Amino acid sequence: MAISARRRRTGLAAWGFALPFTILFAVFMLVPVASSLYMAFTDMHGADLRTPWAVNFVGFDNFAAALADPKFQQAAGNTLYFVGVAMPLTLGVALLLAVLLNSGLVWFRSVFRVGFYAPVVTSIVAVAVVWRFLLQPDFGLVNSALGLVGIDGPRWLTDEVWAMPSLIMMATWRNVGYSMVILLAGLQGIPRDLYEASAIDGAGAVRQFRSITVPLLRPTLLFCAVITGIGYLQFFEEPFVMTQGGPLGATNSVAYEVFNQFGFGNYGLSAAMSYVLFVAIVILSYLQFRLLRTEK
Amino acid sequence: MNRTPRLAAAATASTLTLALALTGCGRSDEAGTTADSASSISEGPATGTVEVWAMGTEGELLPELAEQFEADNPDVTVNVTPVPWESSTEKINTAIATGEVPDVMQVGTTLMSGFVGLDGLAPTPEDIDSSAFFPGAWETTEVDGTSYGVPWYVESRVLYYRTDLAEEAGVEAPADWAGLTDFAAGLQDAGAEHGIALQTRGNSTALMYFPFYWQAGGEILDDAGEFTLDNDAQVKALEYYSSFMRDGLAPPVLVEEEKVQNFIDGKLGSFVSGPWERANLLTTAGDDFADKFGVVPLPADEATASFIGGSNLAVLADAANPDSAWKFVQFATDPATQVDWFGISNDLPAVQASWEDPALADDEAVAMYQGVLETARSTPAIPTWSEIEHELDLIIEQTIAGDLTPEEAAAKMQEAATSIGTGLD
Repeated sequence: MAISARRRRTGLAAWGFALPFTILFAVFMLVPVASSLYMAFTDMHGADLRTPWAVNFVGFDNFAAALADPKFQQAAGNTLYFVGVAMPLTLGVALLLAVLLNSGLVWFRSVFRVGFYAPVVTSIVAVAVVWRFLLQPDFGLVNSALGLVGIDGPRWLTDEVWAMPSLIMMATWRNVGYSMVILLAGLQGIPRDLYEASAIDGAGAVRQFRSITVPLLRPTLLFCAVITGIGYLQFFEEPFVMTQGGPLGATNSVAYEVFNQFGFGNYGLSAAMSYVLFVAIVILSYLQFRLLRTEK
Repeated sequence: MNRTPRLAAAATASTLTLALALTGCGRSDEAGTTADSASSISEGPATGTVEVWAMGTEGELLPELAEQFEADNPDVTVNVTPVPWESSTEKINTAIATGEVPDVMQVGTTLMSGFVGLDGLAPTPEDIDSSAFFPGAWETTEVDGTSYGVPWYVESRVLYYRTDLAEEAGVEAPADWAGLTDFAAGLQDAGAEHGIALQTRGNSTALMYFPFYWQAGGEILDDAGEFTLDNDAQVKALEYYSSFMRDGLAPPVLVEEEKVQNFIDGKLGSFVSGPWERANLLTTAGDDFADKFGVVPLPADEATASFIGGSNLAVLADAANPDSAWKFVQFATDPATQVDWFGISNDLPAVQASWEDPALADDEAVAMYQGVLETARSTPAIPTWSEIEHELDLIIEQTIAGDLTPEEAAAKMQEAATSIGTGLD
């Protein structure tokens, strides 16, 4: 009896300590998540804001409607295209830059590090203005440079074929610095004597990179891949500020479509769409963990 | 011990879920609360406090007008809260949902139906005379047959053109559709890269396009409230609108940000915009530029038409001081006050009588708008309009790109609109 009473008291005390966190967590995390899930299974619209409980449950209708919607399908295709190209590109360029910064250039390392990281902390609005100038078809820097070597550059942001590559370029430029800094830290954590030992064994630079750098960098690469993948699946800012999803829906993304549908007051449908996106993020992250996990 | 917190957390979570599941769900059968029959405004001066929310420039300038109202009604205090346009819809939605509302609110003409859908606005009292306003402006206050506000200021779309280029080409400002095509071609011959610029894609493309549809005799909704988008007028207007891009008279893909600069540089002969553009042009190019451009109404076909925008003043359904709130609205939409407000803000009066005042009638650049506003129209005040407009933007873009014929586009517009519905049930 005595023991159980004391246990109960300790339990209560523990709860007392945990209460502030639990309440904050419940109010700011659990309730919003639960209500968005609730929304996804109801026919809630903008006009139901005052009476959120007076709506009908519609089961998986919203999910079926989202998946059958040609605009959502196009947005999903665009998002996959974006992630499929931009993610490997970002990680590849980040790794290349990190290796270069790690091997030489000791003097200018911090200059370069700041240079490549600056786009990450710059406001997207400012970035958009500059990129619109760069990509301007008639006098933009990109097409002027292409013109010097005799190439007639496309109308980047208003061409159905080139709009997405333009945004991929811009997103890579914006995000490469983040992964680069993390990878650089990872590289500096690899013991130098491993390279020395392998050099004595006759390994060249390429062999060292394949057999030492990449395996030891795996956890760091995994981290970068997951973070970049999650960010890129939620691709929104670039089309929002640069193309409004056009031309002809070529740069519309799932997150943008969710944003639009929320704006139209289709709360149920857009909540369902965001859960489809959520599932896609879970699947992608799972695949990355499978692919890049450290072998035991 | 280790298990307890986790168990409790699980319990919290499941209680929440249970609470969600148990709370009565499902729509009630009654088809929306019908608007209370409009009340009337009492006699005598306004009293108490009137809270007003106004957006953008209006929010900054309104206190000046409110002072006059306070002077006329010594027992009233008007508190104006400026709200940025960008966050206004969310802010107002939240206010209506929680009941923490102001008494009077400025509502953009195209946003009325959304707030009415939330039962947030009070019906307009019968004391306010609808015939005093431009008919197109009054229509923007009506949702499903009931008026929920009073037009405050208006704007409309007109044709801006380079007078020097027109003179050089020997062309007169156009009065009809064929005239506009020749006019654009003439400006182009006189040295402009493009004779005219029309919006080709993105938000509000439909707003730029619809005046042409109305001019061709089209209607968006019929009297029974059904969509009527698939018809000869639509085909004709789409064909006409896209002909400018196809024939090289307008940029095939217009970059909005470059429009004004190209116009100033003489690379663009003309474009369609609203009254605010005049100040914009003079700030960018300097006051001397005023001699180089002219402004005329859009050309007519079967009918004369333009788009009418602006803002209404609405009293909230949950307003704490509705009687004085309506008195403030009455004051702000009085012909004399509207002229004062034009002096303060340059907003064009929604009241027709105000246009007789020399302040407007003697200013040629302003007086021109009176005729335009008499026949200008707005898009339907239905809760689903923003979604339908988004679809129409895309269809118009595809028609301009040549991916859809005007006939296909008209059919697709009708299909998109009917599948979304009017949202009025």
